[in-house]
Amino acid sequence: MTMLVEVHDLTLSYRSGSSLARVLHGVTFHIDRGEVLGLVGESGCGKSTVGLALLGYCFNSAVIERGRVLFHGQDLLTLGRAGLDRLRGDRIGFVPQNPTTALNPSMRVGLQICEALILHGRNRHMADAGRRAAELFDLVGLPRPGEILKRYPHELSGGQQQRVCIALAIACDPDLIVLDEPTTGLDVTTQEQIIALLVDLRARLGTSMLYVTHDLGLLAQIADRIGVMYAGNLVEVAPSRTLFAGPRHPYTQGLIGSLPRIDDPEGTALRPLRGLLLRQELPPGCPFSPRCDHAVAGCAQHRQGLEPVATGHEVACQRWRELGKQPPGRSAAGKRAKRPAGAAPLLCIDGLSIAYGVGRGLLGRFFPRRQLVVVNDLSLEIGRGETFALVGESGSGKSTVARAISGLLPPISGTISLDGATLALSVKARSSDQRRAIQYIFQNPDASLNPRAKVGTILGRPLRMFGGSARGKTGEAIAAALADVRLEGTYQHRYPDELSGGERQRVAIARALIAGPVLLLCDEILSALDVSVQANIIELLRKLRSERDVAMLFISHDLSVVRTLADRVGVLFGGVLLESGPVEEIFRPPYHPYTLSLLEAVPHIETERRRKGPGPAVAGESTAGARCVYAGRCRWQLGEKCVKEPPPWQRSGKGLAIRCHIPIDELKRIAAPAAVTVITGVVP
Amino acid sequence: MALLDGVANKKGFWSWIARTPLSLRIGALILIVHVVLAATGPFWIPYGFSQMGTGLPLSPASLSHPFGVDQLGRDVFSRVMYGGHIVLLMSLSGTALGLIAGSLVGLWSGYVGGIIDNLVQRFLEVLISIPFLVMALLAMVAAGPELSGDPLLVVFVVAFVYAPRIARMARTAAVEIATRDFVTIARLRGETSWSVVRRELLPNATGVLLVEFALRAGYAPVLIGSLGFLGFGLRPPTPEWGLMISENRSLLLIAPATVLGPGLALASLVVGLNLFTEGLARILGRTVKLGGQQ
Repeated sequence: MTMLVEVHDLTLSYRSGSSLARVLHGVTFHIDRGEVLGLVGESGCGKSTVGLALLGYCFNSAVIERGRVLFHGQDLLTLGRAGLDRLRGDRIGFVPQNPTTALNPSMRVGLQICEALILHGRNRHMADAGRRAAELFDLVGLPRPGEILKRYPHELSGGQQQRVCIALAIACDPDLIVLDEPTTGLDVTTQEQIIALLVDLRARLGTSMLYVTHDLGLLAQIADRIGVMYAGNLVEVAPSRTLFAGPRHPYTQGLIGSLPRIDDPEGTALRPLRGLLLRQELPPGCPFSPRCDHAVAGCAQHRQGLEPVATGHEVACQRWRELGKQPPGRSAAGKRAKRPAGAAPLLCIDGLSIAYGVGRGLLGRFFPRRQLVVVNDLSLEIGRGETFALVGESGSGKSTVARAISGLLPPISGTISLDGATLALSVKARSSDQRRAIQYIFQNPDASLNPRAKVGTILGRPLRMFGGSARGKTGEAIAAALADVRLEGTYQHRYPDELSGGERQRVAIARALIAGPVLLLCDEILSALDVSVQANIIELLRKLRSERDVAMLFISHDLSVVRTLADRVGVLFGGVLLESGPVEEIFRPPYHPYTLSLLEAVPHIETERRRKGPGPAVAGESTAGARCVYAGRCRWQLGEKCVKEPPPWQRSGKGLAIRCHIPIDELKRIAAPAAVTVITGVVP
Repeated sequence: MALLDGVANKKGFWSWIARTPLSLRIGALILIVHVVLAATGPFWIPYGFSQMGTGLPLSPASLSHPFGVDQLGRDVFSRVMYGGHIVLLMSLSGTALGLIAGSLVGLWSGYVGGIIDNLVQRFLEVLISIPFLVMALLAMVAAGPELSGDPLLVVFVVAFVYAPRIARMARTAAVEIATRDFVTIARLRGETSWSVVRRELLPNATGVLLVEFALRAGYAPVLIGSLGFLGFGLRPPTPEWGLMISENRSLLLIAPATVLGPGLALASLVVGLNLFTEGLARILGRTVKLGGQQ
């Protein structure tokens, strides 16, 4: 095979004021014709900068110190504006992370494709371009291309928008497509469809790709080779199978060890990377040495370039010979004690229905608005100290349930009781003690911490409100709370923007814990964090759970995390609970058809399971007004029955309950056992 | 971008100054000159502000009378210099008063929302829809003749004119901040709305409010000057600039310096304040945006 792209010793800095911050440090790699290279690393490691460099694009503040980016032997960095204009969009396509901002909102999507086709001289006339655009839409699996051409971006779903972006990227039949986190903003099931599409396109068109992502699991499905980046350095490059089987660089090993796995038996401990990437304090030598368990004195002094380990496998570590292969193993964490059955549940939700658009107060009574029911007749129980995970795709009503429990969003019907006492529906009507008992942790610590308040103030407020300690002892109590989440006491004098994302989420957890709750509502608290930071927080939650008797409603769309953390799981779709039961039963047949599709959508590390063609068709809209919410999207739908009759709850012996018309034995049969016995990656 | 912060570690006053917008630097320079003149003027001016017979009445600009001499034989330059602190103090205190009242009402209204917010906003819109000079005159008339000419009344009028406009800005900011999760957390904790406004909203709205203050303060001298010009401001012989322009306007052709002098003072103050404000808004706009995230 011949090389399509050669990046040689690319060193790039960002200018800030009068000084330079180095973002890329001697990055060298190549992409062969028809090959997919995956580039993985934590946020800020420079992977997107590399992706943009392949388009010959640099930010205004970027200074290229040295290096070459050769495309067909032509250096993109010295090509100049006109030459780049000819290449970009024509020979090199780009798929951005966020299709919503990438598409022009005031232009029909068809026209946006035609524009590219005409600009690059593929078509002379609008009519021809329109026909070609329809073909492209068909190619990327958009239903009814003729109609979609005439739509505006906001009339399409996120997945459809991303398909349009992909169509735009392949419009001129490019040699290379650069994909910058193309599925990060999408749902698990949508993500799986997009990946399947990319694999399919690649097989059909033979296009080379650079796939930039923070999700190793995804790369296993699509990449031929994977490059691992750390702080602007490429630390390891290997064929993807080799990389997962025998990572050589300690950072790669840590990254793989950080992934929660769906096949883990209950409660294996993760092996998170220790420490943080501190860009101000990078040593002159190996950038990873401050966090490396195997670092010796020389590591921080001498820079190490990539060295070949085997054919196609290169690593930038001075000690790779001594360290050898270290397949990522894990230590077993203590198994959790089972809760005695039959004990009174802590939280009891019965027949909960929640709607948006409910007119409140006097005006609402006279001018009723159209209601949008988002959660329908939901009942569940959470035991004392138990972790209940609620999973489902976005829009399934997971967060809405948590908001209702907290009292932020009064439901239209149903009761919520805590410890046997029925809670008032609105938070205002609850007693201080009831408010203390339930604490909410949000997804994004950037938004949930007041940026203008010091950590001490943030933690001090709930302490004062709920009378946790005497006035003079506030300082000590805050230090203790920080220690609980493994932060130093001196952090109370810092502002949130002086902390890293993981540290901020710890502060948010500390704020919830300092009130002394019995129930934590954790709303996607890991999804805004990097993989290695995620692993740290998971370990923290586990320790906290065993230290104190606090129950959790853990809302997540990430099944691997759920597997490692939850005691019981509920699967929510369209505001209706479809399946619930102990975690080990959920991940074992029989499955509800929806649960199965969720499990199949989780990216798997094992390359044997790489997708060959398009995946199971999950597309299709659920039928409106049907009695089973999943009807219309279900692969095993029993005709009219699913539309006309509400499905019954069926119970298996081990506490598993499935709401489906298909008999349990039948469900056991359809479940493909291979689907869940593999290693999985983290869903972003 | 922690990445960039790390490099921009070169602390030091001068390098910081060099990175500020040019408009901020020029504006600050003009303001400093104004403040220094206003603070020291009363001590070194050659004549008293109401001293008559300082020269030949209606004489044009000369070395001994840079801004000429008015009808009553008063030195206009001395009067302008003396009036500086009056204009500055009244502008700033009036705007500050308007800012305090406006921001509290606005933040509270934006946070509480619902019908109350709606009513408050409609009421503010009614106030804003009245041309501000008309409203100022209404307030003056309502205050009655015995208060007319009182500097405090002028300050209150400035505050009264500005408060509804500032309240609207504050409300917009509050509506945005109120959707953030930390406010939700505070609400879940059972905080009172006053406490949320003070602890959560106000600190995060300071950027917007500061810009708003500077912007309004920039036009306050014009407002006070207009009131003075129309005879609704301070009483003669107070050397308020607007009033002086009004008194000397008949001399525009005979001794133009007597009008242009106070006019120049007023214009340079407004220009200085506005340049400064614009620069400040740009700096704050940056830091306010970056406040929450890295």
